[in-house]
Amino acid sequence: MGLTIRWWNVWTIFRREARDQLRDRRTLFMVLILPLLLYPILGFSILQLSATFDQKARIVVVVGSENLPALPSLLNQARDGFEPGLFSRPKDAELFKVEVKTPGVDWQKAGAVRQGIRGGLAKAVIIVPPDVKQQIESVGSARLPILYDSTDESSQITYLRVRELIERWRDEIVKVRLVVDKKPPGYTEPVEVTGEDVAPESEIGGSIWGRIFPFLLVIMALTGAFYPAVDVCAGEKERGTMETLLISPASRSEIVLGKFFTVMVASMATALLNLVSMGLTGLQIAGQIANSGTKAGGKMATLIAPPSPSSYFWMMLLLIPLSAFFAALCVALATMARSMKEGQYYMTPLYLVSLPLILVTLAPEITLTLFYSLVPITGVSLLLKALILGDYENARRFFLPVLLPTLVYAWLALRWAVDLFNREDVVFREAEAFDLKSWLISLVRDKDPTPSAGSAVFAFALIISLSWYVMQIPGMAESPIRGMVVSHLACILAPPLILAFLLTSNPIATLRLRMPTLTDLGLAAGLALSLNPLVRELGYQVEKLFPASSALQAGLADLAKQIPSLGVGLVIFALMPAITEELAFRGYILSGLRRSHSEATSILLSALLFGILHVLISLFQQLFGAVLLGLVLAVLALRTGSLWPGVLFHFLNNALGLLTPEAARHPSLSPLSIWLFRDSADGLYQPGVLIASALISGVLLVILWRGPNREP
Amino acid sequence: MIQVEHLSKSFRDYRKGWVPAVVDVSFDCQPGAIFGLLGPNGAGKTTTLRILSTVLRPTGGRAVIAGHDVVTNPGAVRANIGYMSASTGIYDRMTAWELVEYFGRLYGMKPEPLRERMESIFDWLQMNDFRGVLCAKMSTGMRQKVSIARTIVHDPPVLIFDEPTSGLDVLVARIVLRKIAELRDQGKTIIFSTHSMHEVEKLCSRVAIIHKGRVQAEGEPLELLDRFGQPDLEELFFHLVALADGEKENLEIVGPPRGLA
Repeated sequence: MGLTIRWWNVWTIFRREARDQLRDRRTLFMVLILPLLLYPILGFSILQLSATFDQKARIVVVVGSENLPALPSLLNQARDGFEPGLFSRPKDAELFKVEVKTPGVDWQKAGAVRQGIRGGLAKAVIIVPPDVKQQIESVGSARLPILYDSTDESSQITYLRVRELIERWRDEIVKVRLVVDKKPPGYTEPVEVTGEDVAPESEIGGSIWGRIFPFLLVIMALTGAFYPAVDVCAGEKERGTMETLLISPASRSEIVLGKFFTVMVASMATALLNLVSMGLTGLQIAGQIANSGTKAGGKMATLIAPPSPSSYFWMMLLLIPLSAFFAALCVALATMARSMKEGQYYMTPLYLVSLPLILVTLAPEITLTLFYSLVPITGVSLLLKALILGDYENARRFFLPVLLPTLVYAWLALRWAVDLFNREDVVFREAEAFDLKSWLISLVRDKDPTPSAGSAVFAFALIISLSWYVMQIPGMAESPIRGMVVSHLACILAPPLILAFLLTSNPIATLRLRMPTLTDLGLAAGLALSLNPLVRELGYQVEKLFPASSALQAGLADLAKQIPSLGVGLVIFALMPAITEELAFRGYILSGLRRSHSEATSILLSALLFGILHVLISLFQQLFGAVLLGLVLAVLALRTGSLWPGVLFHFLNNALGLLTPEAARHPSLSPLSIWLFRDSADGLYQPGVLIASALISGVLLVILWRGPNREP
Repeated sequence: MIQVEHLSKSFRDYRKGWVPAVVDVSFDCQPGAIFGLLGPNGAGKTTTLRILSTVLRPTGGRAVIAGHDVVTNPGAVRANIGYMSASTGIYDRMTAWELVEYFGRLYGMKPEPLRERMESIFDWLQMNDFRGVLCAKMSTGMRQKVSIARTIVHDPPVLIFDEPTSGLDVLVARIVLRKIAELRDQGKTIIFSTHSMHEVEKLCSRVAIIHKGRVQAEGEPLELLDRFGQPDLEELFFHLVALADGEKENLEIVGPPRGLA
């Protein structure tokens, strides 16, 4: 981060900012008071809700109860409920209230019963015909009609439960008969079906929390970062203390870091306090409902009980990179704002972008994939969900793929914030009316030798969106080769060329069209050859871990079949991308990034954009290879100051990708290929070759990195 | 102590292209003296002083303060200057004592020397009555004192005051000016910008009259009156402004400044 960071200054600034936040009533309310008040209030409403569940004892009218036999009994002694012994949990008997009626017209006609059910007088009616007692005693069979209304859901549920009860009662009668006839119990019941819920109670709870917790955690982390960020950055400008701070000996990086840590702590504190308060309230409610003793209460309790302590541990762990990312992003956004009010304007777009990324976790069928793990916010949310649901296998597999990108995004956002802080026009921005025409004119009139970082990102966006439109042109999908040529020339080559000539005063320097030295070309060729075994191995391992869909693979095989000859293949898959992608990514985009970013940031960012391009226009699995090659290519471009070593490297790399499997399979090379390859069909090298490849590449990269910087 | 040589600063404006704010400004300042920058609003005073305080980077020329270049060694420059202007506000949610202590810490002062230094500053500025009061609750006069205390907490050899009295009532302005004079007597090198002729007459041993980004005249006040044959500073000032406005060719928009082309 620029020069050395004096952590004492960062700590001093952090302490002041944190104390400042604690003295701010608004922040205190948002971070501390709101969660403490909000969840108990919500808790009351939930308790009220569950109380209404408890009161719902269902009324069952029994007509002609005097016709029932004394034993086994269907009703309890008081004749106001069913016999508790018929329930698997005797307490459940309280769920039903029995009203005994003497036979009459009122409760025997369908119309009257329907009216009774609609009027809330009963949920179901059991008619006991006069001959029941006699039929049972004489080992006959009695009819026992239950009247209910299938259009009334609770009447239907009552019917099912009552039917279950009467079946158990029937079993009791059968038991008595078996005893009398001296037959074993299995005689009448050759098969017994029982349904058992296998989810442990903690996981039943997890299924609800697994959706709500990640959502709340992410939202709270974002909210907790946003308000303090606006206060410590835009508020500092508005209150006129920004200049006071800038003239102190603290460097810009130290100031940004101090503010960043303040915002990060606020973000984590907000999220944690919300979780703790919600968890405690949930625990209390679960306890109260469980103690109420009803079956519905027990079910509710398991649903509301908060996740296990281990889930909490994971959430806190993931909260760190998430809060870091949000804090850096919010600090950068808030630095751009001139006033608190302008800062608040940035909230809507920020939430609009973040919310869909979080809401994904609410959909039950969406689980972590490699693609999701790389999407900021979504990756963390889905990983949280997996952890809370106890899906540890997936969580382990995706832990690093989620953690590392999030940390990289946080670092980039932080660098962005520092860069913004270093810009006079951002820190001392004055209000001005914007006029599109004069702005466009100024773009062409006041050209700089190399593009700005903003126009580099614009070029990338242009490449991506053009590629999208080209894919929509009819006929492109049918002929993949033509599609590839058109998209490379029109979408990847054209934008940087046009922008370089339109917006910069030195397109040659921008696109690095200088002649390279022979040494540089040799170094590039050597690196391409030495890295190739590693590149192949990486591709293979990624494919093994995260296989591409079979449809995609079939499409690729189809594409390979359409190549008329090896020469054409080399031109289309090696030469063309080498030229177009290098001009775009190591030419225009890297030059733009380099103008306002440090070397490391520019290299990383350009490699990341290069990776994203491959994800979007090609296979997702290419991401890792593309990012790694993007890093090497960016170092090549910056160190040699020329595009051509990169073009050579890129060409050789792609050409080897095309030729290696062919060569490995070729019979004339078989003695050599046994020695080199462990799997000649896929062109995978022996471990020894891989080690040698890593060593040689390492040496070459060190030579390159340490070598003279020929960047003009 | 302060050497400014051919300093220039242009801002980019998408309507007008490169707009010069400071053009070829040069001057020197010596310890124990106050150097005045006199000019109307928008003359380029604040831009010049912001460059000296390393907050802005010059687009041409150089400035050296206490032996350190403002571009190549901004950290060392900031450690050796105290800077106060109308736009260097104070933190509302801190007390006077906390605020001064905070900046003292950022200057790397150890707790014990810092406390001693602060005690003497608070005595000197008579701030002991309100050392525990939040800045938000202070009167303008108190706030100015806190600002001065903040500016001098690390005992810098060079002090830069950018219109320190603008917007103050006469009583507060008088206190501020008296304190600046006392600092001069302690041997500090001081730059003081203002649009008030009266303040220059009272305080400055040398003055540069600046208008439209350029130094129109520089020297001791009395010597300047002699040189241009004017009776007082006010007449001299209007005379120079009229001269500058006549020379339109100096003021036209220039190309991109050196170092950016």
